[in-house]
Amino acid sequence: MRLLRPALLAALLAIAVAACGSSSKTTSSSGAGKPAVVIGDKNFTEEYILGDLYQQALAAKGFKVTLKPNIGSSEITYKALTSGQIDMYPEYTGVILSVIAGITTPPHSAAEAYSLAKAYVAKHGLTLTAPTPFYDSDALGTLKTFATKNHLTTISDLKKLGHSLIVGGAPEFATRQEGLLGLKQVYGLNPTFKPLSIGLTYKALDSGQVQLSDVFTTDPPLTTGKYTILTDPKFVFGFQNVAPIVKQSVLAAEGPAFQQTLDAVSALLTIPAIQKMNAAVALDQQSPAAVAHAFLVANHLA
Amino acid sequence: MTVLLAAAHAPVIPNFGNPSSFACERANRLFCSDWVSHNWSTVLWPALRQHLVLTLIAVSLGFVISTTLALIAYRRRWFERPVLIVTSILYTIPSLALFELLAPSLGLNRTTAEVALVSYTLLIMFRNTLTGLREVPDEVRDAAAGMGMGPLQSLLRVELPLALPAITAGVRIATVTVISLATVAALIDNEGLGVPILTAISNEVFKTELIVAGGMAVGLALAADGLLVLVQRWLTPWARARSA
Amino acid sequence: MHDFTEAFKFIGRDGQIPGAPPLPTLVHLTLETLKIAGIGVALALLIALPVGIWLGHIHRGSFVAINLGNIWRALPSLAVLAIGVAFLGLGLDNVELALIVLAIPPIITNAYVAVDEVDRDVVDAARGMGMSGWEILRKVELPLGIPLIFAGIRTAALFVVSTTTIAALTGYSGSLGDIINNEASYHLPGVIGAAICIAALALLLEFGLALVQRALTPRGLKLTEDPGVTFAPVAATDVA
Repeated sequence: MRLLRPALLAALLAIAVAACGSSSKTTSSSGAGKPAVVIGDKNFTEEYILGDLYQQALAAKGFKVTLKPNIGSSEITYKALTSGQIDMYPEYTGVILSVIAGITTPPHSAAEAYSLAKAYVAKHGLTLTAPTPFYDSDALGTLKTFATKNHLTTISDLKKLGHSLIVGGAPEFATRQEGLLGLKQVYGLNPTFKPLSIGLTYKALDSGQVQLSDVFTTDPPLTTGKYTILTDPKFVFGFQNVAPIVKQSVLAAEGPAFQQTLDAVSALLTIPAIQKMNAAVALDQQSPAAVAHAFLVANHLA
Repeated sequence: MTVLLAAAHAPVIPNFGNPSSFACERANRLFCSDWVSHNWSTVLWPALRQHLVLTLIAVSLGFVISTTLALIAYRRRWFERPVLIVTSILYTIPSLALFELLAPSLGLNRTTAEVALVSYTLLIMFRNTLTGLREVPDEVRDAAAGMGMGPLQSLLRVELPLALPAITAGVRIATVTVISLATVAALIDNEGLGVPILTAISNEVFKTELIVAGGMAVGLALAADGLLVLVQRWLTPWARARSA
Repeated sequence: MHDFTEAFKFIGRDGQIPGAPPLPTLVHLTLETLKIAGIGVALALLIALPVGIWLGHIHRGSFVAINLGNIWRALPSLAVLAIGVAFLGLGLDNVELALIVLAIPPIITNAYVAVDEVDRDVVDAARGMGMSGWEILRKVELPLGIPLIFAGIRTAALFVVSTTTIAALTGYSGSLGDIINNEASYHLPGVIGAAICIAALALLLEFGLALVQRALTPRGLKLTEDPGVTFAPVAATDVA
């Protein structure tokens, strides 16, 4: 009789624990007992998707991960990382070099960009996990009709059009090395710049407000065939594979399974994969979380 | 750690839904009901809920602070002017600027948003509460003293109740102001109805999200205003006769 | 704190970033902000002032006038701008339309209340002296209503300046809000510097308009003026 209540309590607790355990879809527990991690992401669609991909994949492995999305530009998000508000976020290797490290000499290959970036962040107690196959560099996009009419295939071809060019882009394009500055210094071009918000770069091409737009290699509209990008033989726009910047202390504390999960996700991110996910969010207006989830499930990571 | 720059094997790219089911979104028509029902629980409702929380916290804190300040100013006249000056300055500073001035020191989080939002409530509620208290007729105060009430009793049983119309008007205006400003707070802590509004603009100006989130913000403010008018009338039935 | 000192240096450099191509100067962006806001307020005045004053003069339409004032506060400016963008796209016209919509209510409400609540005895006395309705309006009601009318204009002006900076978030470029929207180029000190400029602009505007209001107020009224009204925007329907 005296043991009835404790026994009942133990039974109830056991049932509760079993119920809670079985209610989650995952059975993996590599993350059990590890400290909580905060992932941040920057202020545009692709970053939201990446943030969700990494967060959900880690959560599926039992890690306690919260996502703090839409923090701001590279600089602000990096500051959030160094000031401790977040523990990691996905960044582009070229952006680390030019915007964060302030290195202006362009690297000659994607691998070089990655190792230079990794070396730089190491000085601040951070590291990069494996990079993605896809790269999301800036590119000069234009209407296919405009390119054919003026026989444009590379950026160097623009020189023959003289100084009457208008390039549209996000406001920061004007001050970046992988932007107007690079076009001037490396290609000797001097177009007029028209600031546009990120969502309007293709509309501006359609309406003729600009002849060229600062677009990104993973933009969904590029899959429609209406637009084309000019190649960048002098690599002004650099290399922009994505690699999560993580605090070294966090990587150590979370154990090898943490990095393995991140790398497993990164390995799957090819340009077509990212383009399709971008399209689902940007054109179909699906939520980044739902799209990330569908992708991870299809590849058995969630 | 090997540098993987080519995928070890091609990923499976699922069909993110049947393309035809997103025809409305692709055409960016003014209102896609499908999108609303799909994203209600993941995007719209959380934003609304966060907006309500932001508002409630800001108005409650602001109410406590402004009432305290008003009570002090009621007893010590010299206190009024400095409080008016400080709260007026805070009120005059445009919200975008105030958020950006606070963020570097306080961080990109709810605290910063709340500090700014509370600042905007202070002037209105302070001024209204103080005015309401001051407008209690002297005869009434004398009558309360004559009945043997001390200052605290008089305050609680006579003066504050009579000041209720003005106080609740202040709360009403502050609430609606905060609901409006909290949309900008999304810039700082990524919460509230400002989030879908700003997302919709950056995302090729997705009209449905813009109109629904914007409409919800407007609707919320009007609903709060209407509700507080009713509360005001309920709390002060004697005032209705006066204003008729 | 380092960012704040850098912010003042940014202001000192008139908004330029060393080593970067010339950017719109702070002076230019401030003037643009004032221009956009000015157009909005001017057009709103043209529409709202006559209507509010006339309604107050004939003592009609109180329901509309008062409630317009209440609804005004309820309109989240970002939401109004955003909905405008959805229907009309980006552009100066759309921004001005939103600004006008947001500026009209405080002007109308205050103008209505100002004229409507002029002491009836004074109006009767004027009528007794033989003044026509028009003369009463011009010589009695308007001068006596100036403080409250102007308070409404001040409220509207400040609100419009504030909303103009927010317009940058909706993609419209051409105000100090641009800098805040473009942290990537201007960096944190630039954003703080722009915020300081916006705050200073608003405070100077408020102070300046308060002085104008005092100058326009008939001497007789100044003696009885409630000091709380002369600083900080106030709408007629603030208290109950």
